[in-house]
Amino acid sequence: MKDRILRLQDTALGELAALAGKDLDAWRVKYLGKKGELSQALRSMGSLSAEERPLVGQVANTVRAELEAAYAIRLAEWEVAKERAQEAEETIDITLPGRTPRVGAEHPLAKIIRRIEDVFVGFGFTVEEGPEVEWDYYNFEALNLPKDHPARDMQDTFYLSEELLMRTHTSPVQARTMEKRRPEWPIRIIVPGRVYRRDDDDATHSHAFTQIEGLVVGQGVRMSDLKGTLLTFARVLFGEDQEIRLRPSFFPFTEPSAEMDIRCIYCGGAGCSTCKHTGWIEVLGCGMVHPRVLEMGGYDPEEVTGFAFGMGVERIAMLLYKIEDIRQFYQNDLRLIRQFAAQAD
Amino acid sequence: MKITWNWLADYVDLSGLTPERVAEDLTAAGIPVETVTPLNHGVSGVVVGRIEAIMAHSQAKRLRICTVDIGKKKASIVTAATNVQEGDVVPVAKVGAKLPEKTIELADFRGVASEGMLCSATELGLDDRFLPKEQAEGIWVLPSDAPIGEDVVTYLGLDDVMLELELTPNRGDCLSLRGVAYEVGAIYSRPVHMPDDQPVIAPDESLPLRVQIKTDRCSAYTAQVVAGLTLGPAPMWMQMRLLAVGMRPISNLVDITNYVMFEWGQPLHAFDYDAIAENGIIVRQADAGEELRTLDSQDRELTEDVIVIADSQKGLGLAGVMGGENSEVTASTRAVVIESALFDPITTRRTSQQLQLRSEASLRFEKGPDREAVLPALRRATALMVKYAGGRVIGEPVVTGADVVNPPELPSIRVRVKRVQDVLGYRLEEAELTAICERLGLAVKRDPESLLVTVPPRRPDLVREEDMMEEFARLAGYDRIPSTTLEGVLSHGGLQPTQRLRRIAKDYLRNQGFDEVWTYSFVSGDSHRLLNLEDDHELAQATRLLNPLSEERVALRTNMLSPLLDVARYNASRQVDALFVFELGAVFVPPSADGGAVQPPLEKKVLAGLAYGAAGSEPLYARRRYDFFDLKGLLEGLFGRLGIASALTYERSLAPYFHYGRAASVRLNGDLVGEMGQLRKSVTNAFDLSSDVYYFQLDFDHLFESVAQRLYVVELPRFPQVERDLAVVVKRTVPVADLLTSVRAAVGDLLVSVSVFDVYTGDHVGDDEKSVALRMVFRAYDRTLTEGEAQSAVDQALARLGVDYGAAIRR
Repeated sequence: MKDRILRLQDTALGELAALAGKDLDAWRVKYLGKKGELSQALRSMGSLSAEERPLVGQVANTVRAELEAAYAIRLAEWEVAKERAQEAEETIDITLPGRTPRVGAEHPLAKIIRRIEDVFVGFGFTVEEGPEVEWDYYNFEALNLPKDHPARDMQDTFYLSEELLMRTHTSPVQARTMEKRRPEWPIRIIVPGRVYRRDDDDATHSHAFTQIEGLVVGQGVRMSDLKGTLLTFARVLFGEDQEIRLRPSFFPFTEPSAEMDIRCIYCGGAGCSTCKHTGWIEVLGCGMVHPRVLEMGGYDPEEVTGFAFGMGVERIAMLLYKIEDIRQFYQNDLRLIRQFAAQAD
Repeated sequence: MKITWNWLADYVDLSGLTPERVAEDLTAAGIPVETVTPLNHGVSGVVVGRIEAIMAHSQAKRLRICTVDIGKKKASIVTAATNVQEGDVVPVAKVGAKLPEKTIELADFRGVASEGMLCSATELGLDDRFLPKEQAEGIWVLPSDAPIGEDVVTYLGLDDVMLELELTPNRGDCLSLRGVAYEVGAIYSRPVHMPDDQPVIAPDESLPLRVQIKTDRCSAYTAQVVAGLTLGPAPMWMQMRLLAVGMRPISNLVDITNYVMFEWGQPLHAFDYDAIAENGIIVRQADAGEELRTLDSQDRELTEDVIVIADSQKGLGLAGVMGGENSEVTASTRAVVIESALFDPITTRRTSQQLQLRSEASLRFEKGPDREAVLPALRRATALMVKYAGGRVIGEPVVTGADVVNPPELPSIRVRVKRVQDVLGYRLEEAELTAICERLGLAVKRDPESLLVTVPPRRPDLVREEDMMEEFARLAGYDRIPSTTLEGVLSHGGLQPTQRLRRIAKDYLRNQGFDEVWTYSFVSGDSHRLLNLEDDHELAQATRLLNPLSEERVALRTNMLSPLLDVARYNASRQVDALFVFELGAVFVPPSADGGAVQPPLEKKVLAGLAYGAAGSEPLYARRRYDFFDLKGLLEGLFGRLGIASALTYERSLAPYFHYGRAASVRLNGDLVGEMGQLRKSVTNAFDLSSDVYYFQLDFDHLFESVAQRLYVVELPRFPQVERDLAVVVKRTVPVADLLTSVRAAVGDLLVSVSVFDVYTGDHVGDDEKSVALRMVFRAYDRTLTEGEAQSAVDQALARLGVDYGAAIRR
């Protein structure tokens, strides 16, 4: 009897090794089911002696446990194999392209403006804006540029009427902000916006372009503060090791006035064609707010002083991104614009 | 403004300096030097020679053989030039000579050796734009007194360097060698010495001259009569200096007035003495409509605003701008009147602008020249005419006008030393400030706390204490200004709410695949026609520029559609077959129907976009074309992002550029805030676009005024919701949005949401009907809804739809 059970075990295990799918189930029924061979073998235990019966029973239980364990293992093996086979069937070429959601590009000028705004917001500046169609008063007179002032020639102007024009710079927002906030100070603002000059369009001139203007008015504002602010700004935008240089210049609305140069970002100051072999690149105009401008804005120049600066966004974008022709900013060739989708900042 | 190094050295000691060094230092002091260019572009071995004999070439008709005296020896030179004769003095490039374009070698011309070359001015590297015509063409025939054998580099003064200054408008004083000399003198602490001529008056001669100033716009008028002049070329060195600074040499008399103008910054003019009726000059305002023929042979009609130099009968010249043809100096001129005067800068500026006559003289008058240069310049010109044109000085100069007869006291500026230090941000000591004033040639008086600086009239830009601060800062060197940090109260920075919203909206659109573009604000006058807009349409009333530059850009855009269609056309023609772009920018709505620009147009920030092509980006996958509901979904997503979706409603738009049946206007609480839809074929065809094109424009600032700045969360529901579907049959023309509105009104508070999940038209409903399947979600906040309550809510909805739209439940 015992031998019969052990033979049964050998046969069953032998069969099991090669089985899969429904055959496995059939095997289980055949050997381990209620009417299976093991049960049948046990059923015939009645013919055994009382001494033999527990021994054979023990063997039978061991065999059942082993067969069940073997079955579970085989079943698991088979399920793994089945899943593999299924997956093999479902295998795809993972080198095919994904269904990428299209992500649009930021316009390079918008990108520069955002970066510059963020730098100055970090310095405690707020962002102000003003109209593109402007009164002669705000665009010129309030900035110490009375009618017939020769310096008006610096900015050829589109007029809509005798008194209305397309603003030639973002500086009228200086005058508007002072008028709005007086007599409160400090004023610390940054002003992005589109401006217009009556220039024929070519690679370096555009009848419409973008400026960012800054204005600080407060007690004890010094020219050295202007320099320190601009130095920090230049380092954020152009690199941690940047240096700046101020050169005397003239703007009717600042005195003293200066142009700010940075070390050439291409040659590092050694001299190249971009910097005309000077090692420096002009980036912005700046100066101490002219006392007349403060007065017209409703402030007493003996009580407060201020500084202002302004830069051309196109020029900075051209420098940073090596864009050669200013018209490309307004041509909107997507082959150019799309390149900015990939740039994180 | 151009100057030359040697010319500058006449007035200030330049020893130990180089042009490059001075250029750098002037630039650092605020007088930017744009270029430093040697006048000699590579000429060597060229000498002055005299043609002694000319023979024909036996083998070549066009060639001639010249025997040329080049100093210690003679050279035989073959030339093809036709403009030389025996006896002419010419530049001769000897064998081995270098010219800018070539090196001269011994050459053989059909059997005849040529020991050099006769040169034209251009071959010597001169700019022929300013050369007299007879000098610009052919061999340059030099004055007969040119020293034979002398190196032309020496003779022509080519051994010099031109410096081009890019002056800022406030530094009119540097429109003269004198002004630049003062700057250089200030930088290196060297004195300036200007020529001080005292012309000798010819004895026993008299040519009377009277001057009357009849306008307050002439503050000085001085004049000198000079007789016995011989009209001819100016000395070569003078011609060459004028040439180098961009003035065309004309004749000794004209060149002398120009030379002195460059030297002193004081414009001069020479009249023919005999052209002045009754020997009397009158300076007056022109009569309206008065005519004058100027030196350029143009008849000018004048206004009362113009100052003319006249006699009792006629105008003789436009003051400060250009002389008249009737008083021009000619070869037969017996005597000239040299004028040195001061005219009102603004009037001169207006006159030259009105008549479009910008001259070197008007340029200087606009900046207000120096009254202290008026007489020295007159004396200098007089002396030069005596010296180089054989003139005799007739009598004392006429001197009239307050600025020269009785000049006002010089202004002075009080400079507080502490203030200078406070504003610049570092300690410039009083001694240094005083020294800088002295270097600039400004007299200084000191009192305990401040300096009193006297400003000569050559520096009209120095008016206030701040102007002096700049002088101190720039001559001490801007590089001495330290970098400091702003002090004082903290201010919090940041974007304003609308600016933040704009960034959110732009980020959203980019993340939905839209590229940002920037287009110009100016459009052509008829851009509206391409949009199918009649001339009287509101959007066709664009504000116009008074002085546009081109037909393409004459008016301010009233919408974003035509600029964006231009972008689409540009890219479509470059094989871009799917395009999703947006712009956030200003459009300009005229203030009134007449388009007049007395009031500024209303400037609206709009967010606009254009889309066409496949909705997905990879061609491998199914290509669905972008359609109206993509566009609407895009905007609904944006409104959702900004929390205003529920406040918006959509109505059919009948704008002329939109597809009649596929366009919507967007309303916010009833106000029109935007539009979207498919563009009409006839419009897209006009822009060479073959796809269906979709456009939207939102009035950004208006739309987002209603964005809530605060968020309060809604308490989470504690009871389950119940969903019920309901399909109803209605007329096809009934907008689904109206059904939803009805359901909301009918059910009230129990309704959480109602949405449409199917719209069916076809065999199972009538031809003019559609079946709309609605999904409703109900919930009560305080209990679990019963089956009966849910059913009753559905029944209410159905009943209301039946009343409002004749809806029947679909069986």
